[in-house]
Amino acid sequence: MKRNTPLITLLAGAALGVILLISSMLATPSSAPVSYSAAAASSAAPSSPAPAAPESSPASPAASASSSAAPSPEPTRTTPTRANYAGRVGGGGGSVAVSVHGDKAVAYVCNGSTVEGWMRGKVQNGKLVLTGKNKAHLTASYHAGKVTGDVEAHGTDYSFSVSTVNKSSGLYQATAKVQGKTIKAGWIVLGDGTQIGSLETDADSDQPNAVTAPKLDMATMTAQVGSLVLHAVPVSGVTGSGF
Amino acid sequence: MTAPPTAPYPLPRKRPVSTASMLIVPSLIGALVALVLGIYGRVHSPTGIAINIAGFSSPGTVKSWLATGATAFAIVQVVSALVMYGKVPRVTAPSWIGGLHRWSGRIAFLLAVPVAIHCLYALGFQQYSTRVLLHSVFGCLFFGAFTVKMLILPKRDLPGWVLPVAGAVVFTVLVVIWLTSAYWFFSTFGIKR
Repeated sequence: MKRNTPLITLLAGAALGVILLISSMLATPSSAPVSYSAAAASSAAPSSPAPAAPESSPASPAASASSSAAPSPEPTRTTPTRANYAGRVGGGGGSVAVSVHGDKAVAYVCNGSTVEGWMRGKVQNGKLVLTGKNKAHLTASYHAGKVTGDVEAHGTDYSFSVSTVNKSSGLYQATAKVQGKTIKAGWIVLGDGTQIGSLETDADSDQPNAVTAPKLDMATMTAQVGSLVLHAVPVSGVTGSGF
Repeated sequence: MTAPPTAPYPLPRKRPVSTASMLIVPSLIGALVALVLGIYGRVHSPTGIAINIAGFSSPGTVKSWLATGATAFAIVQVVSALVMYGKVPRVTAPSWIGGLHRWSGRIAFLLAVPVAIHCLYALGFQQYSTRVLLHSVFGCLFFGAFTVKMLILPKRDLPGWVLPVAGAVVFTVLVVIWLTSAYWFFSTFGIKR
């Protein structure tokens, strides 16, 4: 009996990890709550035999299942399936970033203040048709090095033609729960290092309002709102982070 | 003269179980744990959000304090191990030193788990800077190394150097994790709750 205590320690840690992981999944405002809760239910049973293996298995099949359930795109020949684009909109009043990951795309447009919008959608025939809250929408065609189109957010219309970005430039997001509300910040970092960002103070609302985001420290990937530290993650079509 | 198979030389007969063969299965399991954590952190899309603990201003502060707590208990681990092995001059190991070592280890491990889950779930395996890459790699390695340590702990007949080496590896990896996270956090944002 005494010889097994290290194993019990391991299993206790693994069980604690699984519980926290499931709690996090249930607590996360997800666009696919069904698959998350299904994954949580299925992972609860086999938690005891192997220490860490159950932690990884539930989420990834759920993620891949939701992506494979989507209508599979016809192979696009000239356009990359994983790319990040960012740049200033026409007129220079703001920036737009588009991340394409397989058949999915995420875009963010923002003027560094109240005009901003997150949009999601599918890639169809080299065309992007993305929509978001507040009737935000983006239509664009995309090619190897450029995305060209129109985007509208908060009733403001921009046309744009932006190029691919690499390394540290691109789109970043950070979310945090504050007193039951989700705040969500987005930053678009351009190749010359300039950044522009807005922060939604109640991102779960149907018509989120935004304010100027605090500066994103690129060295630490953090931004400070009062005493709260936001941890930013890239929304990258190349790595799939943020999708 | 019937020769019973075990009677004359019971000890030499056990020798063929070499150190390597006793270590290989725990090492493989540990490697698997580290690999699974790393792959999960890489494949799973970071949500940027996870369950929070009341009483702290942000997940960053919670994690930094938990990690600091784990590291503090890990220092207790090293000290108590040195005492147990009689490496501290003029100190004879008290009877409770083994209990102290076991419980400080358990607490350190259990403190580290929530931090790791938040890292894996909310932030993922990232590599956008040296600090972050080191932290991601060593974070995965820690739980692999700890698994190895736990699995070889009940094994008797191990050479004397194995457990100290395993313990030292676990401790070193944890300190690297702490330096690349909590130490960085506190020195960047100040020590706060």
